[in-house]
Amino acid sequence: MNSPISKCIVTLAALAALGARLAVAAPAAPLKLPEFEALAAKASESVNVSLDASLLGLAASFLDPGDPEEAGAKQLIAGLKGIYVRSYTFDKAVPYPAAEVEALRRQLAAPGWQSLVKVRKEKDHTNADIYISVDQGKANGLAIIVSEPREFTVVNIVGAIDLEKLRRLEGRFGVPKVPLPDGDSSGAAPAPAPARP
Amino acid sequence: MSHQDMNRDDDLGLEQRLRAALRPVDPGAGFAGGVMARIATERPGNVRTFRARAAASWGGFALAASVVVALLLAHQQQMRRTEQGLEARRQLIEALRVTGDKLDLASRMVNAPPPAPNSSDSGA
Amino acid sequence: MSGDQSCTSGELLSRAISGDTAAFGTLVRRHQRSVYSLALRMLADRHQAEDLAQEVFLQLYRSLSRVASEQHLAFWLRRVTMHRAIDRMRREPRYLTTPLAEAGLVAGESADADPILEHRLRGLLEELAPAARAVVILRYQEDLDPVEIGRTLKMPVNTVKSHLKRSLSQLREALTASGAGGGGDRPAPPQPLPSGQRTLV
Repeated sequence: MNSPISKCIVTLAALAALGARLAVAAPAAPLKLPEFEALAAKASESVNVSLDASLLGLAASFLDPGDPEEAGAKQLIAGLKGIYVRSYTFDKAVPYPAAEVEALRRQLAAPGWQSLVKVRKEKDHTNADIYISVDQGKANGLAIIVSEPREFTVVNIVGAIDLEKLRRLEGRFGVPKVPLPDGDSSGAAPAPAPARP
Repeated sequence: MSHQDMNRDDDLGLEQRLRAALRPVDPGAGFAGGVMARIATERPGNVRTFRARAAASWGGFALAASVVVALLLAHQQQMRRTEQGLEARRQLIEALRVTGDKLDLASRMVNAPPPAPNSSDSGA
Repeated sequence: MSGDQSCTSGELLSRAISGDTAAFGTLVRRHQRSVYSLALRMLADRHQAEDLAQEVFLQLYRSLSRVASEQHLAFWLRRVTMHRAIDRMRREPRYLTTPLAEAGLVAGESADADPILEHRLRGLLEELAPAARAVVILRYQEDLDPVEIGRTLKMPVNTVKSHLKRSLSQLREALTASGAGGGGDRPAPPQPLPSGQRTLV
């Protein structure tokens, strides 16, 4: 079991490697995220983060280089232009923000964006969509939309993800590889590694 | 209760097991003595009380305080930047935490085994 | 028997601040179990835990005048212990093994105790990142609520709750995966919703 930050770094590397096979060049711009006012009003907890390039640089200067996780995070964000997160948690089910999500999907239908993961789990009422933007063989944008019974999350990461730096992090600090589907087949990914005894 | 039984435990059962696993335990028999011995080593022959020590250093504190105030005024801008930087760092860590959570969830959903056909249990 | 035994921690604190080392010693004996256990669950090593616990009490001795009350003392001890433990963990290799002999494996105190399972749980806890481990330990050893945990670790309450939720989920999955004939991941069943209402799916 590893911290979410380590998993984030590893999974972004895997996604970026996958996205690099998609030969569409497009500049990535930050998505225009909806305000989600209705969700925010009903949320018992919310995370609202908007870090542009200058704030990312400021945050990076306060990361602890002696901490392996923070050092890895510092490397990860070195090429980024922005991280934007809107995440809401509810005590009970709330209406799905269909209009806002549709506005997002219209932006993600623009040239340059590719749907990487689209999973629906009816039994758990959980959906997950991951989109990636690629420019000259390099992933330069990521969008995640996840809805769960009592959580709704949108993440937009903008900027160049350095594949080489990220791949060097895989396998270090006890970080396992996170298997994802092969980009050109519908099927079988390897089973996740079993938990450490 | 066997490990197989744990599969059917709800959160309450797991929490009870965690409480049991994390029952406080005592240190070795000489622990307190070891602490007091280290304290005695740190202050050989010094019999001043805490209050006497505090009183004796009050004058020094007053001088130091005035110097600190001057420095604080001079470095106000730097401190504001530090606060902003720490807040940005906190938000960055929170953002990466949420992102890692959701990527992990998506990965697990993708790699979950397909449901068995004609499953008849009640489920949701 | 020393007269200190009948004093409240607040009285002992006042006397210790005034220089009464015997009163301080009683305070140490009164709180050593909690401090040592926190250190032990974080570091998973008895020697390191004793060393760290001693350092905490030494720091307390140096900082007594800053401890305002009995309640503040308990809070202060927890906070300093956890922060020191987290700092130490970040300097050490992430994965530690806990031989059975050192794991505090003791005979169960209740009829349904399961020392092997409890040892397994402690081993799984060692695989959590320092912050998540600290949250779980404060919740289930010290019985703190998320707000108190957040104050102790200087962590937002949302983050505390997230750590708790995720850690419990991971522990459950790991235990299920390691059990014989385990059924694999079973996500929490969704709560039934009123019919006709479109919800967050």
